[in-house]
Amino acid sequence: MNEAPRVLILPAFDEAERIHAVLGAVARAQTGCEIVVIDDGSRDDTAAAARSHGATVLRHPFNLGYGAALQTGYKYALARGAALLVQMDADGQHDPGEIRALIAPIEAGEFDLVVGSRFLAPSGYQMGAIRSLGRRLFTALARLAGLRVSDPTSGFQAMNRRVLEVYARDFFPADYPDVDVLLAAYRHGLRVGERPVQMTEGTRRSTLHGGLRSFYYVYKMLLSTWTAARVPSRRGSGEDSR
Amino acid sequence: MNDRLDPAQLRELFLLASDAEGARLLAVICSVTLVLVVLWLVRRRVLREEYTPIWMGVALALVVVTLRLDWLFALTRAIGAWTPSSVVFFLGEVFLVAICLNYAVRLSKAGVQMKNLAQELALLRAQLERLEARVGHG
Repeated sequence: MNEAPRVLILPAFDEAERIHAVLGAVARAQTGCEIVVIDDGSRDDTAAAARSHGATVLRHPFNLGYGAALQTGYKYALARGAALLVQMDADGQHDPGEIRALIAPIEAGEFDLVVGSRFLAPSGYQMGAIRSLGRRLFTALARLAGLRVSDPTSGFQAMNRRVLEVYARDFFPADYPDVDVLLAAYRHGLRVGERPVQMTEGTRRSTLHGGLRSFYYVYKMLLSTWTAARVPSRRGSGEDSR
Repeated sequence: MNDRLDPAQLRELFLLASDAEGARLLAVICSVTLVLVVLWLVRRRVLREEYTPIWMGVALALVVVTLRLDWLFALTRAIGAWTPSSVVFFLGEVFLVAICLNYAVRLSKAGVQMKNLAQELALLRAQLERLEARVGHG
């Protein structure tokens, strides 16, 4: 009997140098997933580097944004009939060795979506003051809407097909999918959980780094979180995440 | 000299002073120019037909206002403005804000459509590469 495929997606933009090491680590982790790199309009040889490791490459004709790249991966997984998807960054900040720990609660039917959190266990991860403040703000906002997550900006996640079907819709942001999409999944009745993971400082430009962009990010996230929170909840009363 | 001016009388003076033939002529020239520019853009295929009604409507409104200045004066009195020109400017600003908002909505929609198309292209290209590899191996 053929088992539904599992897909590991890595959105990448100008990561030709780092992606060799990341895909090497992924291969050593033996995740049993089809490796899919979404090249978001890179100006370097990211696509060729990914292909040299046997990865499937989905290449955007131009840069669409981190969120759009993730969503291309979700759409691909849906079209492939995948039952499970893992997403991680292509800059080496996530450890592929922890993929199994993220997948396990989904396979056990405990959760639909599992977020790898830097803050559930001591990890030594250093977060700057502004980013830390932003994380606390969005954690509090999510909690107000009933969702308890400690690391809403984590890009290291695993999800089942039910989540993919929600995330493939047009509401999914092209730029920064963070607490707003977690909240949308939660409001759609999906079970969101967390597992502790270790992370190193990535090279991807953080959504909470860099002058005016940080202010725009906070403004945009407040607006989209409010929009997500207005979706009529399909959860039973008193039901919570984690 | 009587330095106690009645504001109502002063306002009527402002309104009467606005009834100038030069202003009428300018409004007609503007509306005719707008119609001609819209038609020229459509003929050059720079502007699509479905975007023209709003601009034709603006040109028509200008002509109507020119022919029926009493309507503009009545509106000026009704909203408590002092000069018809300030009412025209106010309405113009409201129109510009409305049209900017309208285009922002259209742009958002077009952005989503463009993103979906680019994603579809990436997925189809990957499918094509897989098929080509399969045919090559076959």
